[in-house]
Amino acid sequence: MLLPRRRLDGTPGKLAADSRWAVQTHGLTKRFGAKTAVNGVELLVPRGSAFGYLGPNGAGKTTLIRVLLGLTHADAGTMSLLGYPVPRHRDAALARIGAIVDEPRFYGHLTGRQNLRLLAAAREPAARDRIGPALERVGLAHRADDRVSKYSMGMRQRLGVAACLLSDPQLLILDEPMNGLDPAGIAQIRDMILSLVAEGRTVVLSSHLLDEVERTCDAVAIVDRGSVIAQGPISELLAGAPVALVVECSEPGRARALLAGATLGARIEPAPSALGLEVTLPGGAGRDVIAEVNRVLVAGGISVYRLQPASTTLESWFLQVTSRLGDPE
Amino acid sequence: MTIMPASGTPAPGQAPQTAPGQAPQTAPGQTAPAGHSRDRRGSPVPTAGMIASRVMELRKRRGLMTALIAVNIGFPALFMLIRLLLHAFAPRANQPAGNDIIFKILVAGFLPTFGFIMAATVGCTAGSRDLTEGMFRHLVVTGRSRLALYLARIPAGLAIVVPMVAVGYTIVCAVSVFAAPAFIDDSNVNIPPGLSRAGFENWAAGHAVPVICGLPYSGHVPGTVTCAGPAGWSKSAVTPGQPASAAVEALAVKIAKQDYSGQNGYTAIFRYPSNSLMIEAGLWIELDAAVGFILGLGLASLMGQRTGPIILIIVFQIIVTPILTGVVIPHLEDLQRSVVGLAMANLEPSGLPVGAALPGVTGGAGGPGSTLLPESATLAVGVVLAWLAGWTILGAWRMMTRDA
Repeated sequence: MLLPRRRLDGTPGKLAADSRWAVQTHGLTKRFGAKTAVNGVELLVPRGSAFGYLGPNGAGKTTLIRVLLGLTHADAGTMSLLGYPVPRHRDAALARIGAIVDEPRFYGHLTGRQNLRLLAAAREPAARDRIGPALERVGLAHRADDRVSKYSMGMRQRLGVAACLLSDPQLLILDEPMNGLDPAGIAQIRDMILSLVAEGRTVVLSSHLLDEVERTCDAVAIVDRGSVIAQGPISELLAGAPVALVVECSEPGRARALLAGATLGARIEPAPSALGLEVTLPGGAGRDVIAEVNRVLVAGGISVYRLQPASTTLESWFLQVTSRLGDPE
Repeated sequence: MTIMPASGTPAPGQAPQTAPGQAPQTAPGQTAPAGHSRDRRGSPVPTAGMIASRVMELRKRRGLMTALIAVNIGFPALFMLIRLLLHAFAPRANQPAGNDIIFKILVAGFLPTFGFIMAATVGCTAGSRDLTEGMFRHLVVTGRSRLALYLARIPAGLAIVVPMVAVGYTIVCAVSVFAAPAFIDDSNVNIPPGLSRAGFENWAAGHAVPVICGLPYSGHVPGTVTCAGPAGWSKSAVTPGQPASAAVEALAVKIAKQDYSGQNGYTAIFRYPSNSLMIEAGLWIELDAAVGFILGLGLASLMGQRTGPIILIIVFQIIVTPILTGVVIPHLEDLQRSVVGLAMANLEPSGLPVGAALPGVTGGAGGPGSTLLPESATLAVGVVLAWLAGWTILGAWRMMTRDA
């Protein structure tokens, strides 16, 4: 079941500036010619959380971020960042935001420190004092005076995060910050995100690394074909996901017929093992439905050897909901 | 499903706290970074720090700086050094390194032409490289006014271009003055400088044959005077005197009287450029470079790339401008007068020659033999200012409206 989109009010084109949300969008739309890259996105990112923004390639993740940051204009809808309506108060909002958009690219002929100095000069005067601590925090202090052209992809990612920290941000928007990082680098970025959130900052993490998002974020939004199809805390999203049951019993063929005849709304398929069935229950199915499966089988004279709910991961759920959109209507 | 904001209050269905379109009464993030009170990032005026960091960014481009130094400083310095060495090792065969003519050739030819192109290259780099190298996004995300981001490049680029041009020009001036010849070379007759009319005539009497054979004279020269030709001319010393008959001396004095003043006369020829000419020419060259920089900056920002605009500017400077400034095209004269190259040529100091050695250089309107399409100084200044303002506006507009 797709989760309903949350609406701020019933008036299209208006937005309640509510500073409890780090990011609020309402009906946000961006088109490139005939292609709608961002389609009426309603997004709520709670302050002080790590928020995952997930979607397959080409789903419109980066475009939405670009719209939010003013890198490109929206064709319709409203948005606010840290409670500031943008684009009207974009400069005030961006003063407290750090962002990596797409692959972090810098002047290759300058050192990491010089690149940050250039960015700090465009921010408030205090930003210059944050260059050293930011480089320390991302573990680049020892290479800060090397030219960026000699940096690996992972080092550029970390330099991008350091650039975000120059603003002492209340909100960080990180677009695929773990791309190109080795496992140690990923762990470092993950720890850093968690520590930033622990400091009361908000982190929006756009990524296709679902496992990392699940380990890092409190809540997620799933985007596909430009639209947010679900959002909320990960635990609640997974609780609403379809439940897969592995059933091992004495007569799988008859068991399948029995379950198909019951009004469970389940999809039943043979399991790879000879004695097994795979039963997929609708999203939100609780323990009582699982018990009903058992009851139907036992009442039919079938011996049930094993009845086990398969654990639903963010990845499996993500693949279910996004691939469903790909099905012909 | 419930999404909880940081305050722990559920959001769905809650009434707006603030009217749409208004900033919240309470600033988000009350732990605003220190220094925000002085933060004027919405202002279109760039800060000194932004300009300084832009200077650093350009200065660290080794290839660009090498080319800039080579063209504006290296080539003139090398040319003068070679002349100094040639004269030092073979003074009879080589003139002194500095003199009025060399100054004029360099200042009306090489320096403005290539200085303009190099300045435009710096402008194209400043106007496009943050786009092509991916830094533009980072800069926009700072929240700083895009106009300020653009305007910061102008003083930064000029802070590099102007001193470079000045250093090269200073070398040319210094050699022209301090290594100037001890004589005035008037049609291959080397005459002591600073002579009065009587002194000039007296000198001519003592050097009758070279004067008769060398200096311009439209009258009849008696057959008793045998001219040795250029072989008798020394490149490094005052022409030596030699005895002659009274009649020949009288003819030489007559020629000297004719040639003392006038457009190409003795008093119009200098050993080295005057202070006023050097100052005027220096300011003109700097203006030329500034125009090149602003043009390059605006065009590159408009096109979002560097190479294309550089090629366009070179073609414009080397091919299009000489055609539009030197040829009168019927019914298009006003259009021709709107070309910045013509305006700059009309603003060229009158002491500089017209159409010096290099293509694309047309010379001062007041100079001898001017072939420029005439244009008033006021109009020329207006055209230059319009080009400066126009390209700045175009470049800034594109930067403010482009997707990052």
